[in-house]
Formats: sequence, C-alpha cells, structure tokens
Amino acid sequence: MASSSSYSNPPCAACKFLRRKCLPGCIFAPYFPPEEPQKFANVHKIFGASNVSKLLNDILPHQREDAVNSLAYEADARLKDPVYGCVGAISVLQRQVLRLQKELDATNADLMRFARNEMPSQFPGAAHYQQGAGFSALPYASHPWSSNPGDSPEGGGDGSA
Amino acid sequence: MTVKGGTSQACAACKYQRRKCISNCPLAPYFPANQTKMFQNAHRLFGVHNIMRILNLMTTQEQKDEAMKSIIFESDMREMFPVTGCLGIIKSYHLQYMQAMEELHYVHAQLAMWREETQQMVDHNYSPSSELQLGVTNPARNNALLVPQHPQIANNSIPLEANHQFVMNSSTITRVDNYSFCVESSEDVTKPLWIQHLNFNNNNGIESVAIQSQLENSQTFPIQQETEVDYDEIPFDTMADDRQSYIESKDACESSCCESPWKDAATHATELISKNELKNAAACFSLTSAK
Repeated sequence: MASSSSYSNPPCAACKFLRRKCLPGCIFAPYFPPEEPQKFANVHKIFGASNVSKLLNDILPHQREDAVNSLAYEADARLKDPVYGCVGAISVLQRQVLRLQKELDATNADLMRFARNEMPSQFPGAAHYQQGAGFSALPYASHPWSSNPGDSPEGGGDGSA
Repeated sequence: MTVKGGTSQACAACKYQRRKCISNCPLAPYFPANQTKMFQNAHRLFGVHNIMRILNLMTTQEQKDEAMKSIIFESDMREMFPVTGCLGIIKSYHLQYMQAMEELHYVHAQLAMWREETQQMVDHNYSPSSELQLGVTNPARNNALLVPQHPQIANNSIPLEANHQFVMNSSTITRVDNYSFCVESSEDVTKPLWIQHLNFNNNNGIESVAIQSQLENSQTFPIQQETEVDYDEIPFDTMADDRQSYIESKDACESSCCESPWKDAATHATELISKNELKNAAACFSLTSAK
C-alpha cells in the first residue's frame, strides 16, 4: 500500500508548471529540469507547451536539446524585446559584419599600396566606411502592410494551401 | 469563406481557423489570403493566441507592424531550420564577426609593420647596411605585436570552435610559429563585442542573453527592410554546420550590400571574407587560418 511514486523522479519543470503528472516518457523532462523553472515558463509564455511538444516530436532526439536551447533563447529575447525579439540581434550583427568587411577591404587596399611602395592617401583608409550608412535595414522582406508602397510580399509565403 | 455581401476574402488566419473574417480582423493585414504558408509557420511556432498577446502589448501601429514582421521572420527561420532557428543565424554571424575582426587586426599589424619599415628607410636614408636589418625578424618587435588573446575573445564565454591561428610568410618577414595575436589599434574596430555570455551548448540552457550594442544605439532599431529576401539560400541545417555551409552555398549568393543586407546575408558575408583572403594573398603574404 505504500505509494509507488515515493522514489519516482521529481516532475520536470514543464509538468510542474502545467501541474500534471510527469510520466516516464515526458518529452520535456530531459530538457527542462526542475532546477530551471524559468526556462520552461519563458518558452511556454511565448510559444506554448503544445507547440514546443509538436516541434520536438518532429525532430530527431539528438537534436532536441539544441532545439530547446534555441527556443529558450528566442523566448528570452522576445520577453526582453517584445517588438523585435532576437531578430534585432540578427540585424545588428549583420550590419556589424558588413561594416567590418568594408573596413577590411579598405585596409587591405592600403596594405597593397604599401606593398607597392605607395603611401596611402589617407590612413586609416577605412575612415570612409565607418559611418555604416545604408545598413539601416532589418533582415526580412517587405510586407504588404509596409509603409513603403510598391514592394512585393516575400518571405515564406507560396500561396499554396 | 467570404464575408457575406462583401468582396473581401478571408485572411489566411481566419481561413485556417475556419471562422468569419471580420472587417477589423487584427491579423488580416499581416496574413493575406494568398500567403497561407506564412501563417502556418507562425501558427506552428507561436500560435494565434500568443501572436495576439504579443500584438496587444504593442502601443502603436508601427510597433505592431514591426512585431509581426519579426514574428513572421522567426517563424520562417524556424521552419527552415527546425533545430537552430534564429539562434543558429546569430551564432554564424557572430563567428563571421570574430573572423573578420581577427583578420582586420592582422592586416592592421601588417600595415603597422610596413609603416615602421618605411619610416626606418626614410630615417636611415636607405643605406645598404639597413637593408639587412629589414630582413631580420626582430623578436622584440614581434612581441610587441604578440599580446595575449584578444581580451574580448578571452573573456567571452561563447564556446566558439574557431581559435584562429595564422601562419604568415612574406618577402621580408618570416614567422614560423602559430600564434594568436591582438594589436592595439587606434581605430575603433576593437570595440568590444556586444554579445555577452551567449552559451550555445550549455546543457543547462542559455545562461544569459544580454545583447547590448556598444557600437550603436541598440534601443533604436531601424525601419524595416524594403527589399525582398530569399530564404531558400540560407544553408543552415544544424548548429555545428556553420562555416562549411557558407562555403558550399556562396556560389548561389547574390551580394548587394546596401540595399538588401539580409538577402543571402549569411552566404554574402562568407563571400566577402573569401574575397579578402584572396586579396591578402596578393599582398605578398599568405594567410591561413587553422582551428
């Protein structure tokens, strides 16, 4: 008559949050340990437990940990920045990489001039590219509701049902 | 389902949910009837309820538009890369940033040496005896360029696999040892990385996701991109498959720096790095990176 669950594993953070019994085959258990309740809380708040469950079921087991970590990151980013989420980070990084590339091009050009025993006209040669002008865009397409008319919609929609 | 007596078609959201699309449907502007895939992706990741909750947090129409664009983008990225989603893209961009930064440091070091040698030639009026000194590697001078790893790299908790080491051969300077270096530059390119404490492989999950731009105002995001984006070329499959994917897909990349930074952004950045490597090879030294 002793309870069979006296030595059962503690419920995972997901089942604890959802107030349900954590079954042995719980898909959340390996990735949402009870020591990290906030991790699942964030993911559930942004994406929802059922969506996460479906997503995890669609990928291979050895990939699920990475998927959960990426979802946790995106959820956290969305909570911090409800407007852009993690897309803002992509945008800034993109601009920085392009800026660095231009600066690298300019500096390489200076180096080649030195190699040919020419003095560069201006050092640092990358000064022209430090403004970062023209990189004020976010990394996604125009949309029908964009304030810029004449742009065609793009991005994942193929019109098929 | 069409509105009775009207000519407008139900939006993709209402069509999917099989409900009547009212005139002021909040999702109708963002999910037109002919873009069912876009809504399916968003619905699969976020769900209608969560999307509406995010929309209701917005105070202005512009914020709503921007939020929906980012949601749709995230959803599309998750559909393309089910495992890594946007995080894989961030990681790859960060890796490219690090690589470009190291390469820039290296080129600055080269420039500094060239300028110093040129100055020495001028100072010594180019005597035959000074010509011999140019071919000698000065350990003291080299050590001045050899400092411990870039402080941001050393202190950064990002477990990047690329601990780059460069072997360089030039006509006058020969270095046979691999090393990692950092050059103090007067440029502002050495401003610290702003991605902090981003651990991708931590079994305990993401420790901290503080993302603050120290180069520009991170709180003011620019307006949306107007040009089209071709998601099909983004070659992300797994979190480990980063640089190789760039190399394989760079041929399919159309580069247009200013107008469409996200158009094949990942492959575009790699293409630029490859071009720089060719230029460096032409500049009397070869640059190889070894992990």
